[in-house]
Amino acid sequence: MLGSAVIILIPSLLLRQTLLALCNFGFLASMVSGTAAWVALIVFLASGYLATRLLQEFPRRILLVTYLCALVLGFIVIKQYAFLKPMLPAAIVSQVVVVVGLSYMLFRQIHLAVDAFQGQIKSLPLWRYLNYQLNLFGLTAGPIQRYQDFSLGWDRLQPLRCDFQSVTKAYLRVFIGVIKIMILAPPCLEVYEAFARTFLDLETPWKAIAKFALLLYLYPAYIYFNFSGYCDMVIAGASLVGLKMPENFNLPFLARNMIDYWTRWHRTLGFWIRDYVFNPLYKAMVERWPGRALWLALICYFIALFLTGLWHGSTWNFVVFGLLNGLGVAAAKCWEIILTTAIGRQGFKKYMQSPAIRALAIVANFHFVCLTIAFFPADLERTWGILKHVGALMF
Amino acid sequence: MRDTIRREIEEVFRNVFGDQELVLQESMTAADVDGWDSLAHINLIIALEKRLGVRFATAEISRLKEDGQTVGSLLDLVEQKKRA
Repeated sequence: MLGSAVIILIPSLLLRQTLLALCNFGFLASMVSGTAAWVALIVFLASGYLATRLLQEFPRRILLVTYLCALVLGFIVIKQYAFLKPMLPAAIVSQVVVVVGLSYMLFRQIHLAVDAFQGQIKSLPLWRYLNYQLNLFGLTAGPIQRYQDFSLGWDRLQPLRCDFQSVTKAYLRVFIGVIKIMILAPPCLEVYEAFARTFLDLETPWKAIAKFALLLYLYPAYIYFNFSGYCDMVIAGASLVGLKMPENFNLPFLARNMIDYWTRWHRTLGFWIRDYVFNPLYKAMVERWPGRALWLALICYFIALFLTGLWHGSTWNFVVFGLLNGLGVAAAKCWEIILTTAIGRQGFKKYMQSPAIRALAIVANFHFVCLTIAFFPADLERTWGILKHVGALMF
Repeated sequence: MRDTIRREIEEVFRNVFGDQELVLQESMTAADVDGWDSLAHINLIIALEKRLGVRFATAEISRLKEDGQTVGSLLDLVEQKKRA
């Protein structure tokens, strides 16, 4: 905030960029601890920059595939996924390296490598690359911005200084973000934890169901307030210094199915997965087996969202989270195909326009979303215990 | 050249969206064509690449589906690729 107030007063673009770069590196320094983390970060950035430049000069498929495999393998080793630990050498498992924002840097790096290979990145100065990857407004938890969009803002870096209404709006949004994170999110988590700890002691079905409903709603509420609050702060903060970050939320709990949901919740992740996982995978498979497009679409939806779930964390609960999301999007597409086949495209259009069906779909999807988020807390045993207890009391 | 490309693209649209009456206007967006969702978009790209002998980059595919993009934007891009 102080940086944004100062940056407004600086007339030179180069000085504004320098100040923002200092803020980026200062923020990074405050978040990274330990020599191993610094070494991993420097290796990641240096290899990322060199690989991208190399792909610009020599756009060979073999180079791209080799680099992407090495990149993803390195990421998996550093993240130490619980289901891969038994397969990793003990020397690697004992080395825990935490690199701040690595998951988001990975997305940006894959995007850069693919776009460079396809001739979509014309210029990549090292200075801009570092500020893109280490941009403090997206370093720790996104939003995932494309390099081309970042470049547009970086080349101008025109702070909001003349437009009083826009400046007020930006500060108000930062304030709303603070309220979400500091006031609305914590009680949701506290009550959730209190209920979850004592849940197995409940003996009457009605009490258990009522508390289960609260558990089901409280964790999604906590994550929504926390994450959307953070996004409010970084998007508004970035706008004050002249950077336009992409929006990450669009009324996610009003989605009518899981495909719709992933265009509303953590949108930049949903769009990234669509562009760099679903589209190339589906395209490659359909070109190979053109007669099986519908089945391939369902498989690709599942794979894309299963991987999205896995990316969220390295523990077993995220495997379940990924499976549920994968099944959810595949089921949504499957339902659409069944309906279109049964009632035709016009009939499907009417179905989509019906307010009653829309309301019903929103309620059903909201509860499915809550069920997927029930697997967000790392204690998978406790989540299973709660679900089993409710099942046993009800049936 | 643009007219020829437009006619070819129109034919691809008709096949992909299963609507032989579909008439393309340059100002049309995805919202104006029934069923133009993300999956239909990639099916359209695959069919266009096959018919027109061009390749679209990942960034171009997603840009063509963004707000404000029209059939005219698609025509511009194809024309540009054909000229290259």
